[in-house]
Amino acid sequence: MNSNFDSNKIIKRRSFLAILITFIFFLFLSFRLFFLQVKNGNKYKKRSKENRISTKITPSSRGDIFDRSGLLVAGTISSYSFVIYKYLNKDYKSELQKFSNTITPLELELFEDNLIKSNAYSHFFLLKDISWEQIVNFEKKKYLFSSIKILETKKRYYPNKNLSQIIGYMADSKDSIRRFPEGAFHIEKSYDLHLKGSSGKTFNEVNAYGKIVRQVSLELPLKGSDLHLTINSELQNFCQNIIPKDKKGSIVVLKVDDGSILSLNSNPTFNAQDFEDRNSIEINNFLNNSEKPMFNRAFSGFYPPGSVFKPLPALLGLEKGIIDSNSEIFCNGHSSIGSRNYYCWKKGGHGKVNLKKAIKESCDVFFYELAKKINIDDLSHLATEMGYNQKYSIGLSNSNKGLIPNKKWKRDTYDQSWYPGETLITCIGQGANQVSPLQLAVHYSSIINGGIYPKPKIIKDSPTLMLGRKIDINYQKILLNALNAVVNEPRGTANKLVRNNPSYIKIGGKTGTSQVIRIQESDREDDLYKEIQKNQLEKFKDHSVFVGYGPIENPKYIASVIIENGGSGSSLAAPLAHEVLNFVNELNV
Amino acid sequence: MFKDFKTLYEINWLYLLLIIILFWIGEINLFSAAGGSLDPWAKKQLIRFALFFPIFFLIIMVKPRVIFNFSELFLFLIVIGLIITLFFGYTGMGARRWLRLGFINLQISEFAKIFLILYLSKYFHNLDFRGHLEISKSITPMIISLLIFALVAIQPDLGTALIILVLGSSIIFFIGIRLIYPILMFFIIIGISPFLWNFLKPYQQSRIKIFLNPDLDPLGKGYHIIQSKIAIGSGGIRGNGFLGGSQSSLDFIPEKETDFVFSIFSEQFGFIGSIILLLIFLILILIPIISSIKIQNTFIKIALLGLSVKLLLEVFINIGMTIGILPVVGVALPFMSYGGSSLLSNMIICALIINFMSVDKKVKYFR
Repeated sequence: MNSNFDSNKIIKRRSFLAILITFIFFLFLSFRLFFLQVKNGNKYKKRSKENRISTKITPSSRGDIFDRSGLLVAGTISSYSFVIYKYLNKDYKSELQKFSNTITPLELELFEDNLIKSNAYSHFFLLKDISWEQIVNFEKKKYLFSSIKILETKKRYYPNKNLSQIIGYMADSKDSIRRFPEGAFHIEKSYDLHLKGSSGKTFNEVNAYGKIVRQVSLELPLKGSDLHLTINSELQNFCQNIIPKDKKGSIVVLKVDDGSILSLNSNPTFNAQDFEDRNSIEINNFLNNSEKPMFNRAFSGFYPPGSVFKPLPALLGLEKGIIDSNSEIFCNGHSSIGSRNYYCWKKGGHGKVNLKKAIKESCDVFFYELAKKINIDDLSHLATEMGYNQKYSIGLSNSNKGLIPNKKWKRDTYDQSWYPGETLITCIGQGANQVSPLQLAVHYSSIINGGIYPKPKIIKDSPTLMLGRKIDINYQKILLNALNAVVNEPRGTANKLVRNNPSYIKIGGKTGTSQVIRIQESDREDDLYKEIQKNQLEKFKDHSVFVGYGPIENPKYIASVIIENGGSGSSLAAPLAHEVLNFVNELNV
Repeated sequence: MFKDFKTLYEINWLYLLLIIILFWIGEINLFSAAGGSLDPWAKKQLIRFALFFPIFFLIIMVKPRVIFNFSELFLFLIVIGLIITLFFGYTGMGARRWLRLGFINLQISEFAKIFLILYLSKYFHNLDFRGHLEISKSITPMIISLLIFALVAIQPDLGTALIILVLGSSIIFFIGIRLIYPILMFFIIIGISPFLWNFLKPYQQSRIKIFLNPDLDPLGKGYHIIQSKIAIGSGGIRGNGFLGGSQSSLDFIPEKETDFVFSIFSEQFGFIGSIILLLIFLILILIPIISSIKIQNTFIKIALLGLSVKLLLEVFINIGMTIGILPVVGVALPFMSYGGSSLLSNMIICALIINFMSVDKKVKYFR
């Protein structure tokens, strides 16, 4: 019926309706404002003066961290600071001057800009971690100051510096909504949710000047849960002190039956308390130091393992039927592929060598000959089953996976095919192999446990997870027999341990020397090698490696030691490991 | 693509001036919300305004035909953006509302409002019908509006979603659907609202319950409303003066820089100040409605009406909740609340309004 009706006219009518509705909405708002502000203004003014509830968020207290024996290794303590509330005194600047002159000198120009920008109604930190003397001094002259107060805050306390590389530290949250500090490194970071608890609220009634008249209601903060580590502080301290101060290195002690990490050391190290205290000079020193004290060599440091790697190709040889315990080769000091020679560390050669002797005296030629029959992919696969090539996410930052090379890796990385010679180098633990001290300990745990071994763990009550696969008990016996001989039989590479400390616990193990630079094969031949090593610059010296276990009859502990540029495995790492195993055995943890 | 620079003389300078005045009132208010400090809000908001200004200017200079041509594309991109937000959005305060684009977080739903208006305006422009709108012709726009409503509602952001739904419906209303349909719809919604209640999240239910009776939970969820009313009421006729608001400065008002900026303002400048602010908003809303009446081009006419209704809804809902006549839903006060997405979307809206108001009023079709 309205087909000729111009639709623009309808829109026009509706626009007038919209104008009308707009007016009604605004009138409605105006009437309501009139009611609140004019009619009841005085009532609300009174309410605003009398009844004011201010909400304050109370941070939760963080859970404590204990070591294996229940010793506190990270806790929370009170810290007192001088703070200023600008709104309490318009002339707060002269008050600050007065404070600086009478109580304690302040470097006013340093924070002046931030102070001017800060919110007048919340506290501004003038000086943190003040002493009792300063507190007493201030309390005596308190009447002089109206805007400066003492504020109690909580701070993290790390009594044992030697656990910094495990516990980590806290830092101010980058997220502006969560204003409280949060875990930033290692255990403090990965277990932040577990440790932090939940914050509470306090509702205070305050008067017109913002002074608290009474507390109206309280929502208590919930304390975070505690955490118990597998680390034994006493052992941790012992290991940390035993590493020569001028050497970089790492010691890992593992419990055989459940994978508990009893000690996890890296030298040099840092002090977590400096991070908590925001001690910027020390922090910068830690972060920029070329020795990398923030870097935990136990699980982030990767090295070619050297001869400690040899049990793995030996196991592969046994499982594939390439060798048995009686197979012999003749070591004349070198082995060759085509025209290229691969040398044994012993120039004259070891003569007739079987598997036991090859491990005991660390003959390289035996493993070269074995390597010629080994497929590198099989070795890499077995390595992954037996503890290498894996990243153990135990809750520490920057852990990595390392590398046992295979053909695919070579192709992906260098776009080259695998050379048989590389298998030889890999089988004696040099070349592209990259393993961490923790992985070495885990690998030896897999041998001792018969192939199925517990995943390493650092939280005491976390469940023990089993990894790996079963190995033939006869092969295990052959390997352990050889490893025991390394220390306990004459001509074993670590036999001098028994001679030097006959009263110590009896252990088994394997020495290793990890090459930092590759020496030309021809150089090694003319016996210059040792001479070169002696005259090497410190940073080109070999890394000293030893993995040992004890007591020999029924191994309970494994110690893995790497000392960077420490020379041969027998010279430095082996005696340290012996000391450590002896100590932990006496502790009987 | 762009207009001649000479056309700058013909734009509504009063409107531009009002926006700038309003923005500066907002700046002063954010300064006092921080207890007399440029940090953390006022400075950042000013930097945003400066950064967005080129976009604002560019939109004023674009030919309306170009905006008309790209309307569907814009809405399509918004729908994609909303879907991405649902899956990859940045979660804050229990809802996935923000999309992280490089260094800024954008609340896509803010922009959905604008482009829904433009899309629907174009849709009805192209229908080119006479008389009342047939109900069948309003089905597509309704489905599109419901789709965007749903995408925003499940974030969940019920406040914004409802605004989107009201915007869609109001455009169908403007274009001339018979009045019986909206009235019918109203009663249907009233009828089924008890069932809808069960679809609300518990916190949304409690907000509505507490709105009806704030004293149910004076220290908890009713706290916002009570404290905001005390702040506004204590402002009295003349207010407590600049930086003189004790309620707001003592941190009684939660979210005082976003949802409750009006409380901060009203406590300081009282009834007189509040009425002046309301008048500025009123003029800002009425100018485009009035100038739309003479415009013959349906797209521009409807777009101007829709954009004004968007401003009206946000002003009414935001101030309404601070004075306790509407439940607390997260709706920002244009140009006053702290926040990048809200500022940018309102600058785009006002740029579009300025642009559309300067067209030749007698021309019905785009050439």
